[in-house]
Amino acid sequence: MKSKSRSLFLRKLALHGLLVPLAIVWMFPLWMMLVFSTMPDHGIFSPDIELLPSGNFLTNFRNLQADTDFVGAMFISIVVAVTYTVLSVFLTSMAGWALARYRFHGRSMVVAIILGTITLPYFVVVIPQFIMVAREFGLANTWVALIVPPLFNSLGVLFMRQSFSMMPGELFDAARVEGVREWQIFLRIAMPLARPTIAALSIILFLASWNNYLWPLLINSRPGMMTAPVALGTLIGLTKVSWGGIMAGAVLLTAPMLAVFVFLQRHFIAGISAGAIK
Amino acid sequence: MPNRNRIAYAFLAPYLLIFATFWLWPIINSFLISFQNTRVNPWQFSFASNWGRLFGDPAFYNALYNTLIILVIQVPVMIAIATVMAVMLNSPLLKARALFRFAFFAPVVVGEVAYAAVFRLMFNMDFGIINKMLNSIGLASVSWFADANAAMALLIIAVTWRWAGYNAIIILAGLQSIPEDVYEAATLDRVSKIRQFFYITLPLLKPIILFCVVLSVIGTMQLFTEPFLITNRGGPGGGTETLGLLLYRQGFTSLNFGYASAIAYAMTVLAVAISLLNLWLGRERQ
Amino acid sequence: MRQGFLGAAAFAALLMPAADVLAQSSNITVWSWNVAASALKATLEDFNKQYPDIKVTVEDLGNDQVFDKTLAACAAGGDGLPDIVTVENFEAEIFWNRFPDCFANLKDLGYTEEIQAKFPEFKRTELEVGDAAYAMPWDSGPVAVFYRRDYYEKAGVDPASIKTWDDFIAAGKKISEANPGVVMAQADFNGDSEWFRMISNEQGCGYFSTDGQTITINQPACVATLEKVKEMKDAGTLTAAIWDEKIQSNTAGKVASQMYGGWYEGSIRANSPDLAGKWGVYLMPSLTADGPRAANLGGSSLAISANSENQEAAWTYINYALTTNEGQITMLKSFGLVPSLLSAEDDPFVAEPQPYWGGQKVWADILSTLPKIVPSRGTAFQSDADAIYQVVQTKYFAGGYPDAKAALDDAAQQIASATGLPVAD
Repeated sequence: MKSKSRSLFLRKLALHGLLVPLAIVWMFPLWMMLVFSTMPDHGIFSPDIELLPSGNFLTNFRNLQADTDFVGAMFISIVVAVTYTVLSVFLTSMAGWALARYRFHGRSMVVAIILGTITLPYFVVVIPQFIMVAREFGLANTWVALIVPPLFNSLGVLFMRQSFSMMPGELFDAARVEGVREWQIFLRIAMPLARPTIAALSIILFLASWNNYLWPLLINSRPGMMTAPVALGTLIGLTKVSWGGIMAGAVLLTAPMLAVFVFLQRHFIAGISAGAIK
Repeated sequence: MPNRNRIAYAFLAPYLLIFATFWLWPIINSFLISFQNTRVNPWQFSFASNWGRLFGDPAFYNALYNTLIILVIQVPVMIAIATVMAVMLNSPLLKARALFRFAFFAPVVVGEVAYAAVFRLMFNMDFGIINKMLNSIGLASVSWFADANAAMALLIIAVTWRWAGYNAIIILAGLQSIPEDVYEAATLDRVSKIRQFFYITLPLLKPIILFCVVLSVIGTMQLFTEPFLITNRGGPGGGTETLGLLLYRQGFTSLNFGYASAIAYAMTVLAVAISLLNLWLGRERQ
Repeated sequence: MRQGFLGAAAFAALLMPAADVLAQSSNITVWSWNVAASALKATLEDFNKQYPDIKVTVEDLGNDQVFDKTLAACAAGGDGLPDIVTVENFEAEIFWNRFPDCFANLKDLGYTEEIQAKFPEFKRTELEVGDAAYAMPWDSGPVAVFYRRDYYEKAGVDPASIKTWDDFIAAGKKISEANPGVVMAQADFNGDSEWFRMISNEQGCGYFSTDGQTITINQPACVATLEKVKEMKDAGTLTAAIWDEKIQSNTAGKVASQMYGGWYEGSIRANSPDLAGKWGVYLMPSLTADGPRAANLGGSSLAISANSENQEAAWTYINYALTTNEGQITMLKSFGLVPSLLSAEDDPFVAEPQPYWGGQKVWADILSTLPKIVPSRGTAFQSDADAIYQVVQTKYFAGGYPDAKAALDDAAQQIASATGLPVAD
């Protein structure tokens, strides 16, 4: 008995001995982001090793705001991410519902096209998308250009389809017998039942939109219409720029998502692992 | 399941409209553009100016080579780390589990621009914390941005940091779906935990890990923001130029949409090949 | 196609921020970068004394991004462009070549032959196509070596004795020995090609011939340049640093010299105010003791967007900032932008000793090289050629070619296949 508890202790020790350093290494960049964001520039570019935050965050933030209208960019990012998430959840839920719950001509073809193109790299569409939205529609530097084109995302459709098809069909049939219309069945019965899936999907979509870089970079080049990541990216590589300010911006971009992660961890993890567990 | 064409298409229509406009049509259009000489006004059909150029262009082979090197080194390293993380996070012996989960999973939510900025500062030649630490233990500074190999290593480190937790989440979910009783017999037979991992856990995890590999390969193949922002647009001298960056440069710096589209299709062929390989590997399993 | 989407465009207009809808007032926006942006801002106070109704906003987006965003906006049919864009001369031709409708013809706005004659002919060639003038010359980049007097003195090096690049290498060894931790000079081997472009221009060579019709990157003078750059790199004279790392090194006192166009004066002065009196300037060395010692790097111009609703106001501003001594000297004084305007070169300020530079008459020294500069042509393929050169340079440094000639032959072949232009004999 004694030897068993001893080997258990050794195993615990080995486990933590490996995991603690790994966790420290993994947290290091985020920790440094926080530290840099509170340091004056001459502190960041000094020969000393500084590992603890100091008190310069607000000054850095003011410098950032002087370099670019970051608050305005954050506002644009928030509006875009929220609108995108709501629209995308509705579009993909409706499509997923149709594919899960109705038999209709062309269903297998629609599924095949979605599945067949899902792994194609985004780069294959970015140029025609840019030509179409910017030149033919003349929509560069608008909200529509930021929100609508990325709605093509098809992972959500598969995700919602799976959720709806796992629901018991009797439920919906009973409602139909009572004369409830299809639209109502979808909205009043199916959607509430799919709430956990919708929560997970929303978080993933919000995160994707919040961090999206290439498309907003290309399509919204006007300084007053840049999203927060694009505005921040613009500063990297400028000469007279406050690096402490850039770090303050990085913290402001990251902190809300970390909060989402901490408080909605279950949904978040469900969203990411959904693809794998068939 | 009711058979109702009209209702079904009413539900599908908004999504299909967006899907067709912003995904399906561009995929086709991109192929058509790749056959146009887009450097003249108006564009003209020309096979040689894009596809002909692609196969003789050292810049394309350089980007392809860089992309494949990152794939071949980064993906296995990252998946191995992710597996270790997942297995250890799954251990019943672990204390302060929530803290460790946070440490490993947090990078998943960090935007590319934010972490690119941090890595750029951390790996700064003269004032970066990494070089300062190397110096303090008696090692020489590494010129992370000026040396092509170091820059490549930096990219691999950055991408691995950002995405290992993502894969660990998926693998952890896979681990948790393995029923307990699979291990019970082994434990009774006094098979060591390490052997259990290699002979029971790993084979059961194979499909999940394969899925992660494919996901990572496709993601890494599209690497753009990191070499764009961290290593200064693929520097030094194209040393970290990836296919994504080459496409951006041809499309939006040299404004050669046709050539950029040809590069995009070369990437697509690679992606399709990798997906098919996955299907084939998946089949063999059954 | 466009008419079909008028509805969508109108919808888009509704969604624009309010400031853009009120564009009738004379608010104009300028895209620029680094010290160039700061210099424009410096002109605004005096400009607004004369023109109080025109409000100018200068946005600093960084050099690369102004280029990328302007191209993208032109590709989008001009949507999203500000009223005025800064265009670097050697990259300028891609705009007029690919998007002749993206920029206003300045001749329609009052750019008369009289005003044109205020600028040197060679500054205008890249900015004008046939009968249209798309941009007005702003500054030039006569190259000079900026150096730390104290570091040179400590090593007993007299900058006047540095006539050749070999002298420069020898001086570098002494300076690094006398000042531990200090490197002689820095080059952006990571994302630029500035040392090659400066020295090859000094030697009368460039990526393309002056008429822009052939590729000349593998001519003997370019080959000799590349050999010398590698020699300096191998000797430790040149260490790699990107643009912002150079600035950081200047401020931290880790570098003894930098070589750039005259406009770098402003970058040093603005970023390292504490080092006043410690910096000086001398002419760039040459390959041979009696070889040429003048080159140009950079130099920009201002163009007006064809979509701008305030073209008149934009023209008024450009005309003030670039064609009056007042505007140009303000920018020279505050941020070291070397005027292209011929009359500005005779301004008394040019002959004054500069306190920051230890009382040296730096502008007289730098401007004296202007007449000796051999013009070099960027062409519409500049960004292709430069990207190819950078890759070849990296490979050559790493031993990927037997010699510099082979490296540049390869570069020439690649540029030929990318552009369709022939390689010169």
